[in-house]
Amino acid sequence: MIGAVTAERSKQDRRLLRIPGTDGVIGWILCAPAAILLGLFMIVPLVAVSVLAFFGWDPLTQTDHAVGFANFSRILTSPDFRSAVLRTLEYTVLTVPVTLLLGLVIAVAVNNVRHGAMVWRTVFFLPVASTLAATSVAWRFMFYPHTGIIDQTIGRVLPVQGWLQSTDLAIVAVSIVGIWQALGTTIVIFLAGLSGVPRHLHDAAALDGATAWSRFWHVTWPALGPATVLALVIDTRDSLRVFDQVQVMTEGGPLGSTTTLSYLLWQRGIHYNDLGGGAVIDLVILLVVFAFIGIQLRTAGRRLNDGATR
Amino acid sequence: MTARTTRTRAAFRQIALHVVLAIAGILVLLPFLVMLRTALTPDDSIFRGTLGLHGLTVRHFLDAWNRAPWAHYYRNGLLAVAGIYIGQILTCLPAGYALARLRFRGSGTATWVILACLAMPTQIIALPVFLMISRVGWLDTLPALIVPFVTSAFGIFVFRQFILTIPQSLFDAARLDGVGPFGVVWRVVLPNVRPALAAFGVLSVMGHWNDLFWPSVVLRTQRAATVPYGIVDFASGEGGTDYGTQMAAAAIAAIPLVIALCFVQRQFVQGLAPSATAD
Repeated sequence: MIGAVTAERSKQDRRLLRIPGTDGVIGWILCAPAAILLGLFMIVPLVAVSVLAFFGWDPLTQTDHAVGFANFSRILTSPDFRSAVLRTLEYTVLTVPVTLLLGLVIAVAVNNVRHGAMVWRTVFFLPVASTLAATSVAWRFMFYPHTGIIDQTIGRVLPVQGWLQSTDLAIVAVSIVGIWQALGTTIVIFLAGLSGVPRHLHDAAALDGATAWSRFWHVTWPALGPATVLALVIDTRDSLRVFDQVQVMTEGGPLGSTTTLSYLLWQRGIHYNDLGGGAVIDLVILLVVFAFIGIQLRTAGRRLNDGATR
Repeated sequence: MTARTTRTRAAFRQIALHVVLAIAGILVLLPFLVMLRTALTPDDSIFRGTLGLHGLTVRHFLDAWNRAPWAHYYRNGLLAVAGIYIGQILTCLPAGYALARLRFRGSGTATWVILACLAMPTQIIALPVFLMISRVGWLDTLPALIVPFVTSAFGIFVFRQFILTIPQSLFDAARLDGVGPFGVVWRVVLPNVRPALAAFGVLSVMGHWNDLFWPSVVLRTQRAATVPYGIVDFASGEGGTDYGTQMAAAAIAAIPLVIALCFVQRQFVQGLAPSATAD
């Protein structure tokens, strides 16, 4: 809204001030460096991926040559790929809702303490700042079978042991690290949203005798619309590119049970140098990203606008 | 209800909030505590399970430091994030200004293209950019880590949003003073977007310093290795089952940026939400 108003006003101002015909050229000159680089490292690669998917490396002639849909049929029917799709879904379902819920609860708590909010915010942001590759080494040690702190505590109460060696539990362990890392950003987003909640509405509701829960549900939650959408987008995007903790803790195993699409892409395309196959996986991820954006614009987008017009 | 009971209830509520936060906070800090405790404990008592800190040792830190070229990793990391950030300011700031304040053919489309680029994970562009970089012979060098990121759709977007909040009168005054468009970027935009520069800087530096994926794509040896690449190499190879040294190495890798972050945290939150009043 503010942007639109400013733009409208600046249009009027510019009519008085503008030197005719210069904005266009100057605008493009100012954008040129960014445009050229974005084109080279974003737009061209996006097109190139679709071309790569139709090429293969021939070890006999040492050349690239078109292979038609061979890469597609090879990758899309492979058990590796199907497993990776399921694992990505599993990781997303395990991490995103928990991160959003915990992030919201902690952000509301931090927002309501009278003293020490800054300290708490820093504490929860530490995992974001610390190198995930390094903290994953610590997590791997915590999940170490029998002697690790997880098996020494949870493992004594519940019948779960040796997480990283189990095809069922390894993905959960990797997800826990994912939640732990994503929480800080989510809290910051919710805190920014909470600081925009009108104070007088809260006070009015409190005077009317509304309980803390009903104040949250009727005042805070609706105003958090844009923040929730932003957090959802960022957390889901991050779940589509999980890499670090998988590389350190499990290297995709055991038996591929933590190989998500983003890890499979690296494994195929870079590690095994199968660029054509990697490009097919790339296109699938791209498709998921587009589908995801579409769904969000249809559902969550409404909530984004609801919150914004308030 | 008397004023006194209300006040008591409010105090209880505050205590309850801090207790909840403390429980969550301890769980969040647990990996750091385990990391430091293990790194500082002599080998024979690491698995004894006591949290007592008697008989601390720095031997693991000395071992870890001597076994890997950490200064080399830090240097590479610093050069990479500095190169990326400076490049991003030089390209994103003028573009952000043009998209926010100038009306020209294609500016609307450009804004949409940038929003679309924002949603793309790095994975999507990895393979073609890897090919490009290997063709120009940059594999295993610092430019391979820097050049693909010297502009950022997110940066352009953040600066555009922030520049929209600068009063138009500042731009008008500069124009009346006869300042050209490049002068405007340098003399009006730059001094007024400091909070956004800081916030975006924290995100950019943090993201690229910590990134493991891109180095894993374009690096093959230790030559241009950054800290995350180095720690993975350490933990998977040499570290073996020497947990104390591994944890010391992880601490050496993770702690410096954490300390740096504590200094810039306030600006970070303020700069990302210009409308938000930080406490």
